[in-house]
Amino acid sequence: MAFNRKKNKPFEGDTVALDTVDLSYDGATPVLSAVNLALPQSSFHFLTGASGAGKSSLLSLLYLAKRPTAGSLKLFGEDVTGASRNKLAGLRRRLGVVFQDYRLLDHLSAFDNVALPLRIARVPEAVVTQDVTELLKWVGLAEQMDAHPPTLSGGQKQRVAIARAVVNRPKLILADEPTGNVDDTIAVRLMALFVELHKLGSSVVVATHNESLVSRFPFPRLHLDGGRLTLLPPLKPAASILGEG
Amino acid sequence: MALFGRTDLPIQKNAASRFIQWLVMVLVFMAAIAATVNAYTGSLLAHWNRSVTGTLTVQVPAPMEKPGKPNDVPKDVAAVLGVLKIHPDVLRVEAVPRAKVVALLEPWLGSGEAVSDLPLPALVDVALKPGTDTRGVTDAIMKAAPTALVDDHRVWLNRVGNLAEGVGMIALALMGIIAAALGLTVIFATRASLAEFRDVIEVLHLVGARDDDIAGQFARRALGQATAGGLLGLALYAPTLGVIALLARRVDTSVLPNVGLPIAHWALLASLPIVAGVLAMGAAHVTVRRALRTMV
Ligand SMILES: Nc1ncnc2c1ncn2[C@@H]1O[C@H](COP(=O)(O)OP(=O)(O)OP(=O)(O)O)[C@@H](O)[C@H]1O
Ligand SMILES: [Mg+2]
Repeated sequence: MAFNRKKNKPFEGDTVALDTVDLSYDGATPVLSAVNLALPQSSFHFLTGASGAGKSSLLSLLYLAKRPTAGSLKLFGEDVTGASRNKLAGLRRRLGVVFQDYRLLDHLSAFDNVALPLRIARVPEAVVTQDVTELLKWVGLAEQMDAHPPTLSGGQKQRVAIARAVVNRPKLILADEPTGNVDDTIAVRLMALFVELHKLGSSVVVATHNESLVSRFPFPRLHLDGGRLTLLPPLKPAASILGEG
Repeated sequence: MALFGRTDLPIQKNAASRFIQWLVMVLVFMAAIAATVNAYTGSLLAHWNRSVTGTLTVQVPAPMEKPGKPNDVPKDVAAVLGVLKIHPDVLRVEAVPRAKVVALLEPWLGSGEAVSDLPLPALVDVALKPGTDTRGVTDAIMKAAPTALVDDHRVWLNRVGNLAEGVGMIALALMGIIAAALGLTVIFATRASLAEFRDVIEVLHLVGARDDDIAGQFARRALGQATAGGLLGLALYAPTLGVIALLARRVDTSVLPNVGLPIAHWALLASLPIVAGVLAMGAAHVTVRRALRTMV
């Protein structure tokens, strides 16, 4: 894939670093308590936990939609606390998010939705056209480029959302149930996209409660339970990926 | 892609911004009319100023007919004419013929036998050389005919000047009110759009848009709408001015002389749509920037 972004500034240390982070929506009931987390560059993690465990909440901290109630958060080596709004926007441009509810813009075509991060980053239109077209073909939406989200199926919307998240070849990819609405064949194909970006140097976090998907890949699991985060080993042993192709 | 750059917001079809366009049309129309009234008053003042500066009117009043008191009017007029004809400051001097004095008084006194018997004042029109003071001439006249009244039109001109100044103040105040109305409208319309597009704006933020990018989109939209509205306002103004000019031409030119408006006035009119556009753009930008600070 012809991902040719030059704007990815190199940085020192972990892509994400959380230090004793708490999060609470109402100031009383904690959703996350004392979470410590370090995601090295070029890492791949699943994020698991029961429904309501706080997976989306943790991700929303990482894509800077929420601020920790307590503790510190570093992204790309930069402390987010007290950062200016422009600084936050700059950090957000370096990450890609697949939202659990897609968050596509209904008034834009699939093409324009995927093009959005590139256009916001003022990438030349010729490059936009090439990259977006190629990516939409890859996720199997060559025929739906001009369709608007309300006319797409759930799985198709999900794929547009994934394309939008990775089009800028971000250094951090946060995917919230990215394969919840597609069949297993497409799910594996979409996962292959994340794996490829991971191999190219991006850090990837995929939140899911699809255990069969988790068990196919040799990636460690971040598990949320009762507001606590624990690191669990891969369900699939690393060696057996070689046989998979 | 729009002329003024990219927009990711569905503001093209937005009712609030359409509303700005129509409102600006009306406001610019009103501003143009106010500016024209102001410019015309100014031109009128300049016109009168030019035509009366350097002129004097000498009035030799008719005495009450009393037995034993001779009528000195012809003698006084002759004395005034005699002095002024040789005075170095005087360009031209002539006695106004009695027929013309009668004509001037006709609106008040009527015509006919009665008037011809009345003791009428004699008038002498004096034109001074450019740049000379009225004082020397006035003194010479008073010496020749102590009962004469010298009018240099200053009092009258001052009154007209005050009127023009008043009109100018009103026009300026109107412009201020119009600008404020425009600003407030843009602010409220923008707030309405912001509420309407809150979800879209949040997504734009989340994929890395800066506040300035988003505010810029609103601002460009406001600029386009207000400038378009302003041009429509001028389009409405042009025929209105034509009709007024047509009606004015029917009025006596001594009441409404045919004066041209200065080039600066037309430049001002031409700038109105741009001024409205820039004003709307600024108001939209500031409003959005302030509102975005509370968002994701
Ligand atoms: N905006 C919010 N305001 C208040 N409470 C919230 C908000 N979002 C989430 N919560 C609460 O936080 C807790 C964690 O929710 P979250 O969406 O993070 O769970 P999740 O692990 O993503 O669940 P799922 O697997 O169903 O997506 C839940 O109890 C939820 O009710
Ligand atoms: Mg969730």
